[in-house]
Amino acid sequence: MAAEEVPRRPPSPPGWLRIRARVRNPGRKAVIGAGLAAYSWIAAGTVPFSRNALLIVLIPGLVLAAIAYGRPPQRIPPPERMDVAGFSYWAICIAALFEWEASAFKDSSLWWHPALTTLIDPMLGARPVKAAAILIWLLTGWALVRR
Amino acid sequence: MMTRVITIIGFAGLILVLFVLEFLGRRKDSRIPTLGEWLGYVMRSWAGRLVVLLGWLWLGWHYFSR
Repeated sequence: MAAEEVPRRPPSPPGWLRIRARVRNPGRKAVIGAGLAAYSWIAAGTVPFSRNALLIVLIPGLVLAAIAYGRPPQRIPPPERMDVAGFSYWAICIAALFEWEASAFKDSSLWWHPALTTLIDPMLGARPVKAAAILIWLLTGWALVRR
Repeated sequence: MMTRVITIIGFAGLILVLFVLEFLGRRKDSRIPTLGEWLGYVMRSWAGRLVVLLGWLWLGWHYFSR
């Protein structure tokens, strides 16, 4: 499957729907960066399992979905072909990571088989660390929309 | 105790391998794609795009909401 030649997606949507992927204005870039940092900081202060904690994840999801659907940025074209072995390395590693996490999660994350979540949670207890993690997550979401 | 250590080493090892793959993928003329290229390839179809974006949303919910 991986090595099949598959037609590329249309290069870009009509011009009036397109927004520039690169923010050329440095001032605007700084404002967006500050906004994302502020959002991350506020989001990091929410109490887990609360309504606000759910909203801080759903809001970026909805915003990115709206951008991806209504005003998609200029996308980075995917590779035309991909080496089967190269594709498989990533697929196997990511599947193994999910399996390793799922097996721990299924066992209710027992002490002797902790889930990655259980290991990472103490680190996310510090607000600056959690804010940085949320910021990285937001930027990852934007990078995915551009792909 | 030993089982816990093995589990943690498993996580650390897998994450390390991901970084190694990314490093190898960035070499010139590498047959291994970078993570971005790999995701871009997976997201050529709407189904792939939906799965990846839902996965991103799930990660946020799993680590930041719970």
